[in-house]
Amino acid sequence: MEPPAPPGASNEPKYGGYTRFELELELVQAMGNPQYLNHLASRKLLSNPSFIAYLDYLQYWSRPPYIKYLTYPGPALKNLQLLQQEKFRQDIISPDFVQALTVEGMRATVEWHRENQT
Amino acid sequence: MDKHLDARFERVEKALTTLIDSIAKYNPSEKLADDLITADKDLLTSLRSLEHHQNNAARIEALRQETAALDAQTKDIIGTLWSIRKEVKNTTTTSYPSTGPKYQFTTSDLLSYARRISRNTLPPPGVTNGLDFGASPPPTELPAPDEAGRGSATQTPNASFNGGVGTPGAAPTPSANGEVLASQATVTSQATELPMQLKQVVNPGEGSVFYAWPIEGDVRGGGLAGYQQLFDSGIDPKGYDPEEEERRKKEEEQAKKEAEERARLEREEADRRMREEQARMARERERDRQLEAERRGSVAGGPKPTNQQFSFLGMDDDDDDDE
Repeated sequence: MEPPAPPGASNEPKYGGYTRFELELELVQAMGNPQYLNHLASRKLLSNPSFIAYLDYLQYWSRPPYIKYLTYPGPALKNLQLLQQEKFRQDIISPDFVQALTVEGMRATVEWHRENQT
Repeated sequence: MDKHLDARFERVEKALTTLIDSIAKYNPSEKLADDLITADKDLLTSLRSLEHHQNNAARIEALRQETAALDAQTKDIIGTLWSIRKEVKNTTTTSYPSTGPKYQFTTSDLLSYARRISRNTLPPPGVTNGLDFGASPPPTELPAPDEAGRGSATQTPNASFNGGVGTPGAAPTPSANGEVLASQATVTSQATELPMQLKQVVNPGEGSVFYAWPIEGDVRGGGLAGYQQLFDSGIDPKGYDPEEEERRKKEEEQAKKEAEERARLEREEADRRMREEQARMARERERDRQLEAERRGSVAGGPKPTNQQFSFLGMDDDDDDDE
């Protein structure tokens, strides 16, 4: 499947009122949220071969011209990268792991720019 | 220099020997003594110049050493320079293996992107996600509720700001001395910790949390959730646009309303025409009747036309009475 065209093309088919571009953008960014990944894992999607292939396909978001549309680029791309690993796909079902990821993410959010200051 | 000195020494010795000989022969001569003194003076000058000479020699030696050291340093520097140059040359000739495709972008692209994502990547000022960056150990949560529990009277801003200094006047009303002391001790130990209520005032971001990813509410209110809802309610989301549907529905309703309105207007128009028609017919009948009455009246002087009309109303009145 080819990545959808970036916004601008008006004749894109719509799914529930949204283009494939919009839906996939939303999905990739939502996957920055560890709890959402846990939700996906709990629905057995992360062990589904089709979904794994889809995750591989979604990596087009890490390249131009798509990358500039991400408004949560850090967590979204990091998690997309991690999701390519089978171990991560298995581990994310654990609530402790999700919690650790969340805490780590929150800590990093506050600390990364403080390090630059000092 | 040595020769020069030796000659001086010899001269002194000779003068001395001559003087001693002359003394030994009991024939001392003043001239010989004078010679000795001159020779001695000469020797002294020579010794001074020797000292000077030796100082100079030492200085020359020191300077030579210094030169040698500087030479060595220069050589060292040149050697280092040479090796660095070699290193630099080696470094520049190394070609970096390309780690992946490279993409062109402009500074303004980068800056506008940075501006766009900054609200999602940087927490608002004051939000620390519960991290404590001070050097002090993490504050225990116990004292805050404790202080809050003492009521607003104890929480005058003065008491809080002066905290550690401890102004007894602003301290809690002393119901018992022991309690006051205990509370002051608590305040002192928490000198740098503001009470909960003031923290909120000083820092509006206090206690709020910042995530660098879309939170659950965003995901639940998004297009994917809408898609799922459509799917769950049995609608094929492909090509189905809720907004479009909404618009279509509205248009249909509008059209229906317009049709009703038109029908109503038509009905009213028809009614109006019918009424007019009836009125016209009534008028014609009335005219006919009047003509008839006039014709009869001219023959027999019958009742006036107005009575005719009243007789019609009178019939209505009769009906009312019957009820």
